[in-house]
This record gives sequence, structure tokens and C-alpha cells, in this order.
Amino acid sequence: MLLKTKKLMKAFGGLKAINKVDFELPANEIRGIIGPNGSGKSTFFNLVSGVYEPDPGSYIEFDGNDITNEPPHKVGELGLARTFQLLRLYQDMSVINNVMSGYHTLVPYSFIDAVTGRKKIWDQEKTIKEEMMELLSFVGLADYAELNASELSGGQRRLLVLARAIAGKPKLLMLDEPAAGLSPVNVDNLMKILMRLKEKYGLTLIIIEHILKVVMDTCSKVTVLDHGEKIAEGTPSQIKDDNAVIEAYLGKKMDDEEMRKALDV
Amino acid sequence: MDKFKEIIRQYPFLGFIIAFIILMLVPSVFFTDLYQSHLASLICINIIVAAGLNIVKGFCGQVTVGHVGIYAVGSYTAGCMFLYLGSGLWLTLPAAILIAGLFGVAFAIPSFRLEGPYLALATLGGGEAIRLFIENGDFFMSTYGISNIPQPIIFGVPFDTPDKYYYIAMPIMLIAIYFSFSVLRSSVGRAFMAVREDPISAAASGINVKKHKMLAFVLSAMFAGGAGAVYAHLPPGYIHPNNYTVIEMVTFLAMVVFGGLGHIWGGIIGAIIITIVYDLTRPLYEYQLFIFGLTIVLTILFMPKGIGGFIDKYFIDRRFKTKTGAMSK
Repeated sequence: MLLKTKKLMKAFGGLKAINKVDFELPANEIRGIIGPNGSGKSTFFNLVSGVYEPDPGSYIEFDGNDITNEPPHKVGELGLARTFQLLRLYQDMSVINNVMSGYHTLVPYSFIDAVTGRKKIWDQEKTIKEEMMELLSFVGLADYAELNASELSGGQRRLLVLARAIAGKPKLLMLDEPAAGLSPVNVDNLMKILMRLKEKYGLTLIIIEHILKVVMDTCSKVTVLDHGEKIAEGTPSQIKDDNAVIEAYLGKKMDDEEMRKALDV
Repeated sequence: MDKFKEIIRQYPFLGFIIAFIILMLVPSVFFTDLYQSHLASLICINIIVAAGLNIVKGFCGQVTVGHVGIYAVGSYTAGCMFLYLGSGLWLTLPAAILIAGLFGVAFAIPSFRLEGPYLALATLGGGEAIRLFIENGDFFMSTYGISNIPQPIIFGVPFDTPDKYYYIAMPIMLIAIYFSFSVLRSSVGRAFMAVREDPISAAASGINVKKHKMLAFVLSAMFAGGAGAVYAHLPPGYIHPNNYTVIEMVTFLAMVVFGGLGHIWGGIIGAIIITIVYDLTRPLYEYQLFIFGLTIVLTILFMPKGIGGFIDKYFIDRRFKTKTGAMSK
């Protein structure tokens, strides 16, 4: 198992945002996480990536390491990358610097080397830059490398966030609504790039997404959260027919025709 | 020209050697009296402080208003070492850098939890506390100040006049600029910027936010401490607590803000301009704080990236033009 949580819990005051979630993810899988707004999907991400501290009794394991109470940068170093719903781009940095700072954990020289400014650093920096330019051209942003990230369009920003997360060569990539606010053409484009990146870097993916078409098409398995609890898990077709899921989303059982319409937004 | 650029890029040290030679020649060509040499030394010192301040404020995004306190620590380390041990600049400079670095650690700790104006208040308090501590301490000669701090003697030649002291301050400034360049152009500098732009996202990329805040504070404190020591030995070698007030802090901030936050050359140009303006406006002493405060406000309002922003824009525009030109061909 690449990622494993046991009895994961997080309460904000009286509200149990995540309530005893057991989650297991083998390597090389694409997992979708769906659920209505406020069901705890993003909280789940924040707990796993160390942004929030889980409540006592929780256990999170990543790649054989106990990361339950590790700070976010430790988790990042272990090879767990994530994106944010609100992107959190480095607005006032150039596109190439955005991606290069994602490479931070793999930089081969030490701090002392950096301060003394030895020549070998400049060579290594050049290699890093070339590698990152390659990644940028892979997602189609190479022409914008020197621009500020704030000058990109919405769709380009989503691609940049993706590139930045992948720059550190993670084992697991967690995407928080990667396609939110994109037009259908752009969504397809993004998903194509994502699948190519997965092939190229051997990624394992967890995707939170509200566009169910994306989840149903790309994910091999889907986990459904509602009110902080895991209510279903299975292949997309199983999930489609799961009564608990349908109830959480729609409130009642519909006939096939109506449901297909509702899911196929 | 392109070939020259390529050589500079390959051997970054070379550029500094060229700059050194040029700056060595500047006094004999341009300076007509001792006052100009004095001003040039002062500019060198302020460039060191501005380069340091740019690390923590411009690159790491931590608002610190206590830097003048660390600058004072550097000066008084040098002053006290002379007073009690009789040391010269070559001993007091490393000591000042070291002790200022320790004070940098102390100033970094509030930044772990505080942000923006709150951090500014905390560091302002810290800086003022250092000055008041010095002003009221007999050990530091309180309000008498420490005088007659000697200038270094190299191969029997005393550098005891302003025109000679320039040749001490200038190389130290170049070394400082060299260090700031190497740090800020490396992955550490990128990590600083990432912490400035978004600490949460930086942490998710594996950047240790606290460690880099600490690094930024300590590095910039070392710059300020070194500058303080060089200032203490500046002829006539006299330091007084009144040289380290909020007014000085505002001038330092004005240098970095006017020059361009997060822009290495901008900070340096800002230091040159503001030092000269500061000296020209000395007769208007009571309005200085107002002038530099207004400079900061107006800069932030109308050119948030300072002079550095214009430099960047010029180069990006030019590159863009050549690129599109090549495309149309």
C-alpha cells in the first residue's frame, strides 16, 4: 500500500470534518474522491499532506513511513505532492521559477555551496533549468517561461500548478479539483496531459473532482465521502448504482434515464 | 557583447573583478574633495545593509523594522572590541558578523508565528530595545558614544582618511553583493521567494518554511552586522546611539522599497540614490522622516516594484521584441 489511513479523524469544534476514515491506496492506481460540498474531501487532503494535524488516534502511513504528525515539508520530501483548490501559485515569480521551486527537495547542492557561489552550482542550476523547461514544454507552457505566473490565463495556471507539483518527482500526486472552472475542451486537454504525465513519471493519483465525467472516465476506483464519513468505495460503475451515493448526491432513487442525465453534467 | 555575457555567466567571479577595477579608479577620476569620498564609503555601507534587508524583506517577504538594531549590534560589537580589547577592523568585522547573526536568530523567532504588520511591530520593538539598551548602558559608553575607533593599517599604510577608507569599504561591499547574488540566484533564493509568495504551498513542495525564514533573517542580520562594523571604523570612527534610530530604519526601508523589493540590483541602486538624497537633505533634518516615509508610500502606490521593476520590464520587453522579430522572419 502506498497510502494508508486508519481511523483518520479531525474535528473542528463540534463538527467532525473527517470521521474514522480508513483508506487504502495501492501504487499506480488512479483514485477518485467525490462527495457533496463540505463532505470533507479537502480536509482529507490537508490531513494527509500535513497541513492540518489529525486528532489523536488517527494513523497515516505513506510508502512505509508513519506520517501522522509530520509537518507538511517532511511529507513533501517523502514524495507526496499535492495541488490546492485555490491553486496557491507563486503569483509574483516567473513561470520557470514556479516550477523550479517545486524541484527544491531534489536540488543536489548544499546551502554552503549556494552561499559561496561555486561554479559547479551554476552548471547544476543550468541542468535543473533544462529539465524543468522540458517539463514545461510537456504541459505546453514553455513559451511563457519568463512571464510572471500572475499573467497566465486560468487554464494555463491549472497546468502550471500541475507542472509544479510534478517537478519534485513525487510518488503520489493528490489533485484538488484540477479541472474546476475549465471549459469542456480544456478539461479534456488537461486530462490528456495528466494521463501522459502519469505514464511518463509512473505516478499514483488521487483526484478530487466535481465534474463526474472526469472521475468516471479516468479513475479505476472511486471513494465517496459524505459528512466526513466514507459511504462507498468501488469501481465507477459500482458507485453509479450505489444507493447511499445516490442518496447523498440526489436525495432519492431515480430511474436510469433521469440519473444518467443528472450525472452527465 | 553576447560572447562577453556568456563569459560572465560562466565565471561569475570575473564580473566582480571588473567591477572592482572600475570602482578602484572612480575616486581618482570623479572625486574632488574628501566629502565625496566619505559619501562613497557611506554608500558602500548602505548597499551592504540594503542587500541584506532585501534578502529578508524583498525575497523572503518578512517585514522587519528592527534591522537598524542589528546594525547597531554590529557597530557596537566593533566599538566595544576596540574599547576593551583594542581590536582592529579585521578582528571586529568577523566578530560583528557572528554576533549579529545570533541576533538574527532572535529576530527570526517571532516570524514563525507573526505576519505582516504584527511582525513589523515585534521587530520594531526589538530594534528600539537594542538602541535603548545601548543608550542606557555604561558598558557601551551610553550617550557619550564611542570615539576614536581606529582605521585599519595595511602594509604600514593607515587608511585613516575618508578617501583612503573608501578602498576598505568598497571591496567589502563587493564581497557582500557577491554573496547575496550567489544565495539569491540559487535554490535557496527560490525557496525564499516561495515562502514569501505562499508558505503553505511552499511547504507542500518540501520547503522547510521555518528553516528558510531563519536562514533569511540570519543572513540579512550578518550583512547588517558587517555593515555596522565597517560603519564604526569609518573615519572619524565615532558611533553614538542616535545613529541607530527609527529614522535610519526608514531610510534603509526606503532604499529597498524604492529600489525594488526582491530585485538585487534595484536594492543597490536604491541604496545609492537614497544615501545621496539623505545627505543632501541633512539641512532639512526635521523633514527627513517625512520625506522618506512619503517616498515609501508613493513608491508602493505608484510603482510597487520600484526601480527594479523598470529594469526587469525593459529586459523582458527587449527579449520579447527580439523573439517576435525572429518569429516574423
